[in-house]
Amino acid sequence: MYPEIDPVYDSDDTDVEETNTIGNIPLEFYDECPHIGYDINGKKIMRPAKGAALDALLDSIEVPRGWTGMTDRNTGGDLMLTQEELEMVRRIQMGEVPVDGYDPYAPMVEYFTSKTEVMPLSAAPEPKRRFIPSKHEAKRVMKIVKAIREGRIVPNKPKQEEPQFYDIWADDAPPRPDHIMNIPAPKLPPPTHDESYNPPEEYLPTEVEKKAWEELDPEDRDKDYLPRKHSALRLVPGYDGFVKERFERCLDLYLAPRVRRNKLNIDPESLLPKLPSPQELKPFPTTTATVYRGHEGKVRTISIDSSGVWLATGGDDGTVRIWEILTGREVWKVKLGEDESVNTVKWRPGREAGILAAAAGDDVYLIIPPIFDHETEAASKELLSVGWGYAEVVKGDPLKKEPPAKWSKPSDKLADAGVAAIVTVRVLVKHIAWHRRGDYFATVSPEGQNRAVAIHQLSKHQSQSPFRKSKGIIQRVEFHPFRPVLFVATQRYIRTYDLAKQELAKTLQPGSRWISSFDVHSGGDNLIVGSYDKRLLWHDLDLSTKPYRTLRYHQKAIRSVKYHQGGLPLFCSASDDGTVQVFHGKVFGDLMENALIVPLKVLRGHAVKQALGVLDVEWHPKECWLFSAGADGTARLWN
Amino acid sequence: MAKIKKKGVSGNAKNFITRTQAVRKLQVSLPDFRRLCIFKGIYPREPRNKKKANKGSTHSTTFYYTKDIQYLLHEPVLQKFRDHKAFAKKLQKALGRGDFSDAKRLETTQKPVVRLEHIVKERYPTFTDALRDLDDALSMIHLFASLPTNENLPPATVANCARLAKEWAHYVIRTGALRKSFLSIKGIYYQAEVGGGQEVLWLVPYAFAQNVPVDVDFRIMHTFVEFYTTLVGFVLFRLYAIEGLVYPPRLDKDTDENAGGLGAFKIESRGVAGLLTAGDEEKRGEEAGKKDVSKQMTTLGAKIASLSNEDPTATAITEPEQEEGTLREDLTIDTFTLAASSSDMLPQPTLPQTTSASATLFSNTTFYLSRETPREPLEFLLRSFGCKRIGWDGVLGAGAYTEDPSDTSVTHQIVDRPPTFPSPAAEDDSAPSASATTTVGRFPGRIYVQPQYVWDCINAGRLLPPGEYAPGALLPPHLSPWVKPGEGYDPIATLPDVEHSEEEEGVEGSDNGMQEDLVSGSESEPIPTPSTTAAPIEDESSEEEDDDYQRELAAEVAGAKPPAPSEQDKKKQKKKSKAKMSRQQREEEDQKEMKKIMMSRRKRKLYEKMLYSNARKEGEVEELKRKRRRLDGGRGKGKKERRGGEEV
Repeated sequence: MYPEIDPVYDSDDTDVEETNTIGNIPLEFYDECPHIGYDINGKKIMRPAKGAALDALLDSIEVPRGWTGMTDRNTGGDLMLTQEELEMVRRIQMGEVPVDGYDPYAPMVEYFTSKTEVMPLSAAPEPKRRFIPSKHEAKRVMKIVKAIREGRIVPNKPKQEEPQFYDIWADDAPPRPDHIMNIPAPKLPPPTHDESYNPPEEYLPTEVEKKAWEELDPEDRDKDYLPRKHSALRLVPGYDGFVKERFERCLDLYLAPRVRRNKLNIDPESLLPKLPSPQELKPFPTTTATVYRGHEGKVRTISIDSSGVWLATGGDDGTVRIWEILTGREVWKVKLGEDESVNTVKWRPGREAGILAAAAGDDVYLIIPPIFDHETEAASKELLSVGWGYAEVVKGDPLKKEPPAKWSKPSDKLADAGVAAIVTVRVLVKHIAWHRRGDYFATVSPEGQNRAVAIHQLSKHQSQSPFRKSKGIIQRVEFHPFRPVLFVATQRYIRTYDLAKQELAKTLQPGSRWISSFDVHSGGDNLIVGSYDKRLLWHDLDLSTKPYRTLRYHQKAIRSVKYHQGGLPLFCSASDDGTVQVFHGKVFGDLMENALIVPLKVLRGHAVKQALGVLDVEWHPKECWLFSAGADGTARLWN
Repeated sequence: MAKIKKKGVSGNAKNFITRTQAVRKLQVSLPDFRRLCIFKGIYPREPRNKKKANKGSTHSTTFYYTKDIQYLLHEPVLQKFRDHKAFAKKLQKALGRGDFSDAKRLETTQKPVVRLEHIVKERYPTFTDALRDLDDALSMIHLFASLPTNENLPPATVANCARLAKEWAHYVIRTGALRKSFLSIKGIYYQAEVGGGQEVLWLVPYAFAQNVPVDVDFRIMHTFVEFYTTLVGFVLFRLYAIEGLVYPPRLDKDTDENAGGLGAFKIESRGVAGLLTAGDEEKRGEEAGKKDVSKQMTTLGAKIASLSNEDPTATAITEPEQEEGTLREDLTIDTFTLAASSSDMLPQPTLPQTTSASATLFSNTTFYLSRETPREPLEFLLRSFGCKRIGWDGVLGAGAYTEDPSDTSVTHQIVDRPPTFPSPAAEDDSAPSASATTTVGRFPGRIYVQPQYVWDCINAGRLLPPGEYAPGALLPPHLSPWVKPGEGYDPIATLPDVEHSEEEEGVEGSDNGMQEDLVSGSESEPIPTPSTTAAPIEDESSEEEDDDYQRELAAEVAGAKPPAPSEQDKKKQKKKSKAKMSRQQREEEDQKEMKKIMMSRRKRKLYEKMLYSNARKEGEVEELKRKRRRLDGGRGKGKKERRGGEEV
C-alpha cells in the first residue's frame, strides 16, 4: 500500500522506490548471480546480504511483525505486510470493497446538469461583419430597382384578366361518334296531367288512395306527390320537396350507376309462335257428347274395343262396366272384387274375339262379356280354353322355376257372369298391355320388384317374368306397334328391349322426376311421356335419347297420355287439374323434318275430387272421339 | 388446345375499378374526388359480372370505368386541387403568424382559380350536345336564383344564378323560342326550342321561400351549380353571338333596384354604340299608347314614313327585333283598333300556325296585370309570345308599359282575386265584355281573365274564348301539354256510353267483377247439349240487364241508394257476365293460352311480364275512367256537354 501523496506543485519523487525491471522472469534464474535484476536505469540491484544461521534461528523463534515468509521481487528481501495491508487482503478474499469506509450507495452528485445555461459559454464579442450591410444583397436589390425603373418589373401588377366567357364551340368540331361506354344521363320525364295545379277531378286521389300513399315508404311510392286541385293560381302554395327533388336528381346524376337497358317496344302478341290455326286442323274433339254415369267412386280406367262400339270402364267400386258408346247406356256389368278397385281394363286387340282383361287387386280377370254375337263369343271361349290342357302338361316339370302367375278357373258365380279365366300374379297389378296379335299380354305390378313385369300367353296359359333384376320401380310397359320391342318405363327412364335378341336396345332419358304414363306413336318412332311433375315430353327415337320437346302447361300432375292410333295426327294428355289437352301432333315421313305440335283444345268438364281430375284417356280406334275417365265418377265422350 | 386465359387481366376485371381504388389511384380526398366526378360527369357503372369486376368478392361496391379514372390522372383541375391544398397551408401559416398583410397578398396573387371551360368543351364537343344537357342546368339555376344565402351558399352564387336566369329569359323572348308552359303543383314548367330544334324543358319554382331540408348536402348542389353556371354562361355567349348580341348584357343598376325584372338588362347589338334596349322599347310603347286612339288610325304608309323620319340614322343598324316589332305592330294595327271598338272580341283571326306565328300570339293585345298576379312568369310568357305592351300595378315593380289601371289601350286584364260582385260566372259565360261594363270596379272595353288563360292559350297555340276564364269562374282543368292524345287516358275525350251498366256494377256491387269473370271462364262449362243453344239464354239475360239498369237509374234519380245486391242478384250478375264473354272471345283467349304452351320458358316469362305491365297501365286508365263516370254521374247528365265544348 502506498502512502497518500499530496499532489502539490513542488512535490518531489525522491522517495520513489527502486523497482526491479526483470518482469515475469522467475527470480530463481538469478540465484547464481550477485544481483537480482536491474533497476529503471539499468543498474544492477544487488542481493541483500543474508544473515547468519543464528539470525535465521532467531527469526524462526520470534516472528517479526508483518512477516509473510515471501520474498520481495523488487528488493530480494523479505516481503513484509502491514496490518492495514493484511486487512485489505482479507477484504479482497471476502469479495468486499478493499478500502475501508467506502459507500457504494452514496447519492449521485450531478456534475453536468440537464439544465441549460442562459448565458453562452462563449463570451466572444460579435464580429464586425454582422453590423455592416451586405454588399451582395445591395447588388441584388439594385438589380431589381433598376428593373423597376426600366419598367421590366411592374410591382402589384393585376392578373391578366381572361375573358370569363367566349365561344368555345367556335371551331365547329364535328360530332364525335358515340362511344359504347358513354351513357348520357336520361332526361326527366315531362309532367303529366296529374301534376297540374288544376287537374281534371278524376286524377284526385280518394281517401283510401291518399292513406295508402302516405303509409308507403317514400322510397316505394311510384310518384313523389299527391295530385291536388286549387281553384285559383293565387292559392297554390310553394312545393315542399323542391330542393329535395333537385338534390336527388343531382345524386342520381353522379352516384347512380348507369346501365343501358333494351326496352322492348313490341306488341306482346308478336312473341307468340306462329302456329296453324286449330280451325285448319279439324277434326278434333271439342265438346262433351255423352256422359257415362253409373260408377260409384272414381272411374280408374277406360278401354274401347277394336270395333269401336263398346266401351269398358273399371272403377273404385270394383265393377267393370260396358257401355254403348253413342247412347251412353250401360250394357253390362260385373263386380270383380268386394273391396278392391279395378285398376285397369283392356280389350284384347282384334275383331275376331271379344275378350276383356281386367285387373283388380292381384288378379287379372279374362272376361268374355255376353254382348257379342254367338260366333264371336264362341271364338273367344275357344281362345281362352285352349290353354288349359297345355298348362296341365307343363306343370309336372320340377326343374322349372315357379311361374310368376297362376292360371285358374273362376268360381261358378264369376263364370256365370262371364269371367273365363283368372290369372293370379300375387302382387297388385296396375297396368295391362296387350301385344298387337292378342296372344300375349303384359302386366305391371310396380311393387313386384324383379317380378314387376310379367308376360302372359293366352294360348298356353303360361306366364313368365322377363327380367331377373329390378331396375327401379316400373310404371308402365308397352309393346311396339309392329316390331318385337318392349318399352319399359321406370320412374325416370324408359328402356327399350329387343324381344327377339333378348337385350336392352336403348335407354331414353326424359328428364322428368316421375313418369306417370307413356304412349308409342303408331309409326313406332315417336313417344310421348307424361309425368307427375306436370310435364309432357315428346321423344323422337331417331333423334336422341333426350326429349325433342318438353311442354309444361298443366297445373297438376299428368295422369295419362295417348296417341290416336287410327291414323289421325292427334294426341292428348289428361291431368289432375281436371282438363284434357288435345294436340295436333303430325309426324312426317321425311326424317329431316321434326314433328309438328299444335295445341288444339282444352277439354274442361271433369270435376276435381280429392285433388284428382281425369285419370285415364283413350282414343276411339277410328274416329276423332276421345274418352276420358274422371275421379268424379263419370266417363265422358268428347267429339 | 386454346391458350389458357389468365384470370383478372382482361374484361370485367380490367374495365372496372372500385371507388376506393380510384380514390387511392388519384391520391385525392373523397370530397375532392366527388367534385371531380361532378365536374367531369363521371358516373358509376354496373358491370355485367360484379364478381369478376371485384376480384371474386361479391360485396356491394361502386364501380367506375377504369378509363374514366385514368383520364382523370391528367386532369388540370386535379392539379388545381393540389395547388389549392398547398395554398391553403400557406395561408393558414400566414394567418397563424398574424401576418395579415402577407395573407392578403397570398390571397390576391396566389390563390388558384379553377376554370372549367375545358371540361365544358370536353363533355360537350358540339354546341348541340351542350343544348341537349341544358334541362338540369336551367332548373338548378332557377332554383338557386331563389334560394336564401347562408354560409354554404355565398351571395355571389345566388346573384350569378339570378343573372343567368334573366339572360336566358331574354334570349328566349328575343328569339321567340318558347313553345309550351305548364302550371304544376311543383312550379312552372317551360319548354323552349333552341339552336335548331333542341327542346329544353326547365322547371321554375313558385316565388316562395324554399324549404331546405337538413339532409340536403349543399356542397354537392353547389358543385353542380358551379359547373352549370359555367356551362350556361358559355351556351348563352354562343346563343347571343348567333343573334348578334353582346354578351354579357349590361345591367342597369337603378332599374334592378326598383325591381325592374327583365327590363334591368340592356341588350346591345355587336359593334353598335348606343342602342335601343328593352327599357327603351317599353317607353316607346308607352308613348304610343298615350297617343290618342284616333292617331293610331292613321294609314299604314304614313306610319312607316314617320317612323323612318324619326331616326333616319338608325334604320341601317337598328336592332332587327325592334324593327320587326314595330312593323308587326303596324301591320296588325287596324285589326287591333277595330277589335277594340267592337264589343265582341272572341273571333280573332289568327295567323297561320307556324313556329314564327306562335311568337305573335299576343302581339296585338295589351295586357294589364293586377297586383295579385305573379308578374315574372306572366311577363316572360307574354313577351315570349309577342306581347309588347304589358302594364302592371306599381307594387309589382318598375318597367311597366303603364301603371295606370284605367288605361284605355288595355285589352286584357289578368286578375286572380275572388269576385266582389254578385254572380259573375252566370253572365260571363255568354258575354264577358258586356257584363264587364255593368259591374263595379271594372273598366269597359277590356277582357278580364284569370292567369291560367295565358297558359292555356299558349299551349293551344291560339287565343281561346275567354268566357271560361272569367274571374271567379270555375276554371277548366289545366292539362299538361306533353301528354300526347291517344296515350293512355285522355281526359278531354268523351267517354263512350257503352259498358256503362257494367261500370256501375263495378262501382256499386262487389269490386271483384273482373275476378268473377275469370273464375267463371275457367270453371267447368255446362255441357252444351245439341238441342240447347246459348243464344236464347243470352237474350234473356240482356233483357234482364236492361231492366236492372233502368231500375238503378230510377233509384239514382230519386236520390235513394241503390238496393244492396241480394244473393239472387249476384247470381244473376254472374250469369250475365258469363254470357257476355262471348264464345268467340273465350276461344281466342283459349288459343292464346294454348300458344303459350309452345313458347320457350324465357319468351313466356317476357310475354307474361309485358302483359302484366300493359294490364297495369290499362288498369290505371280504367280506374280514371271509372272515377270520371262516377263524377259525371254525380254531376248529372247536363254537365257532360262541358267537356264536349272544350274540344271545339
